[in-house]
Amino acid sequence: MKRYLKPLILILVCLAVFIPFASNAPDGLERVAGTLGIEEHTPTWIGLMPDYTLPAIGNPYVSTLLAGTFGVFLVLGVAFILGMAITKLNE
Amino acid sequence: MHIPDGFLSPAICGLTYAISMAFLVWSWRKARVTYPRSLAPLLAVSSAFVFAAQMINFPIAYGTSGHLVGGTFLSILLGPYAAILSMTIVLMMQALFFADGGMLTFGANVFNMAVIGGLSFFLVRFLTKDPKRSDWFFSSVFVASWLSVVSGALACGLQIGFSPVFSDAGGIAVTVPAMLSWHVLIGLGEAAITTALISQLHRLQPAVLNGLAILRGETHEKIS
Repeated sequence: MKRYLKPLILILVCLAVFIPFASNAPDGLERVAGTLGIEEHTPTWIGLMPDYTLPAIGNPYVSTLLAGTFGVFLVLGVAFILGMAITKLNE
Repeated sequence: MHIPDGFLSPAICGLTYAISMAFLVWSWRKARVTYPRSLAPLLAVSSAFVFAAQMINFPIAYGTSGHLVGGTFLSILLGPYAAILSMTIVLMMQALFFADGGMLTFGANVFNMAVIGGLSFFLVRFLTKDPKRSDWFFSSVFVASWLSVVSGALACGLQIGFSPVFSDAGGIAVTVPAMLSWHVLIGLGEAAITTALISQLHRLQPAVLNGLAILRGETHEKIS
């Protein structure tokens, strides 16, 4: 388990380093919808951190970094539970 | 490529939910007879990595961006079944907490990214004529990861094109070429990043490449 600590720290460091360089341009699908004049509706479900930001925090870098860090640990936890569930029968 | 709510008709939402659900049940059953317990922490960390990587959009051309999807990457790390389940977790958390991808369109997003991404494992296996030679393997990873994004974009183009919101704009005759033209380029980014990551892991930590071991037939479990 310990040998997975290094990659986890590396993920968080990479996130902190790369967030300022991430492109804000629309992605492929958003671009296609935009070209065809189709508006994205206000989603039925907004979630806690829409577009990877914490609405309460003004600084966009800090906001995205915190949302991303939360997401990394959230996915880590849920995926670990899934991992325990799908490997139950083997040992 | 995450489809927001409102883009797809209820029929397309229902159909893609049903298809994705069938693949998830299949993956779950296959996973339970395939993987040892030691997979759990690797599955957790690689899912977390894919979540983080999907946040970082890279510019493509003409004011459009793309990001790593990571389906082929996961399938080489985890094998096809855990890759499908892992990507589904990432997409579920994105839809639930980050408003990235809709709830009603979740089935379509799972199909376009998780199912197609995980199944790209079988293309890697098919293209790798000699699994002992790493140049064959890396070339196959490059082609499969490119094709996984292009196929996902094709599926997405069909789903939105058959939905009323886009049918007024010309339907699939417009949406499919438009989606493909951007994702042919975005797929090159996917292929470059995936091949770089896999080749580095192959050099530094070959033991974590469970998918490669499955591909080479080195696990005692039978994979069909």
